[in-house]
Amino acid sequence: MAEMVSGFGGTDFDPEMAAAPQASYRAMQEHAPVLRMDGLVMISRHDDVMHALRHPELFSSNMDAIDIGNIRPLIPLQIDPPDHVKFRRLLDPLFSPKEVAKLEPEVRRLVNELIDDFEASGECEFSDQFAIPLPCTVFLALLGLPLDDLDLFLRFKNAIIRPGGSDGDEARSIQRAAGQEIYAYFQSVVDARRAEPRDDLISGFIAAEVDGTRLSDNDILDICYLFLLAGLDTVTASLTCAVAYLARHPDRRDAITAHLALVPAAVEELLRWESIVPGVPRVAMNDVEISGETVRAGESVMCMIGAANIDPSEFPDADVVDLERTANRHLAFGGGLHRCLGSHLARLEMRVALEELHRRLPDYAIKAGETPRYTMGIRAVEYLPLVFAPVTAP
Amino acid sequence: VRVTVDAETCTGHGRCYVLAPDVFAPDDYGHCIVIHEEVGDDLAMQARAGADNCPERAITVG
Repeated sequence: MAEMVSGFGGTDFDPEMAAAPQASYRAMQEHAPVLRMDGLVMISRHDDVMHALRHPELFSSNMDAIDIGNIRPLIPLQIDPPDHVKFRRLLDPLFSPKEVAKLEPEVRRLVNELIDDFEASGECEFSDQFAIPLPCTVFLALLGLPLDDLDLFLRFKNAIIRPGGSDGDEARSIQRAAGQEIYAYFQSVVDARRAEPRDDLISGFIAAEVDGTRLSDNDILDICYLFLLAGLDTVTASLTCAVAYLARHPDRRDAITAHLALVPAAVEELLRWESIVPGVPRVAMNDVEISGETVRAGESVMCMIGAANIDPSEFPDADVVDLERTANRHLAFGGGLHRCLGSHLARLEMRVALEELHRRLPDYAIKAGETPRYTMGIRAVEYLPLVFAPVTAP
Repeated sequence: VRVTVDAETCTGHGRCYVLAPDVFAPDDYGHCIVIHEEVGDDLAMQARAGADNCPERAITVG
């Protein structure tokens, strides 16, 4: 059992398993729905994962559960009720479907510009030339930061999410150092916006009040830190996994091209199937019974979202990728009070990207003789060479 | 059929009012408001699509 699922918890992973983890999820779910490995308790049934996500008093996302180089709790992820709701009331309206819809023309323009840059060559490396710059550029624009800082941001988030290092201690020290740089970077932005406010999110945070109190500089840094880590890699990963899937399944690719109205449902189904966040970490606050096993207070729990998303008790024909699936309660954006704040922005970016790619480059395929390279942690295709014959001018 | 949402359980995934905009609407925080608590056959399918796609199972139809 252990060898089938190794790589979910630690930094080592098997690239083949990263490319197709679903069989391992299924094995875990059927044979060991509560599995102890590498110091983690992995839970994999949809009901159990949902239960854990809905009960932060039992399964906390505090700093014992999640350490990504931060020195204070990330806001709002590591804030417990009742303070949690105050921050979500400030942040939720900024990322509501109505608010992010305003960004659609800008996202569509950017998507077309990225395609313009490589279209004539008939090929691209989809990760570097599209999936990385798209969410990063949207993010920089939202926060009101200069596009020139793109490389700096990529270095920050890569050091945190994929620190490398020869062991856990070295990885943590790389993360810790990058964390200090992130705090310093955002502190300098906060200082600049205090002196000279602009029409951007960070100026908005400076002016905002939560229960009649202004946010402190640290509050703002703790929000921005989380944004940086939650908002960049995840959309890149979702885009690369979705496009790699479609490139390898030309019948599905063609179905979308023939009927672009399929895109929103296809986005949901690919979010479910690919589950680019395989698991989210929590720490047990009490002894709790899960699927007949006792999880002890203090144990690290990994809520296997990837497994929950292919649980046949929730999804009929769970192993079939059905782009027209009508009931899709996937947990790709988590659940409970910490459900992903940026889900609507992520959906917008994915929808517009797939619409424009299928409109302009409908016969995209993986370049002959090349193999896409998947990575784990956040599941992404970090090397995705595509070829295509452009059909439509922008 | 009758449509209800458990406001305590809704966390604002927003699937309902995107898929069923004639039955559900967002409040200022993106949480679900039921526009029509009783819907006829014409809107029942929309209402069910909202319920079937709510990750929190916060919506009851029928």
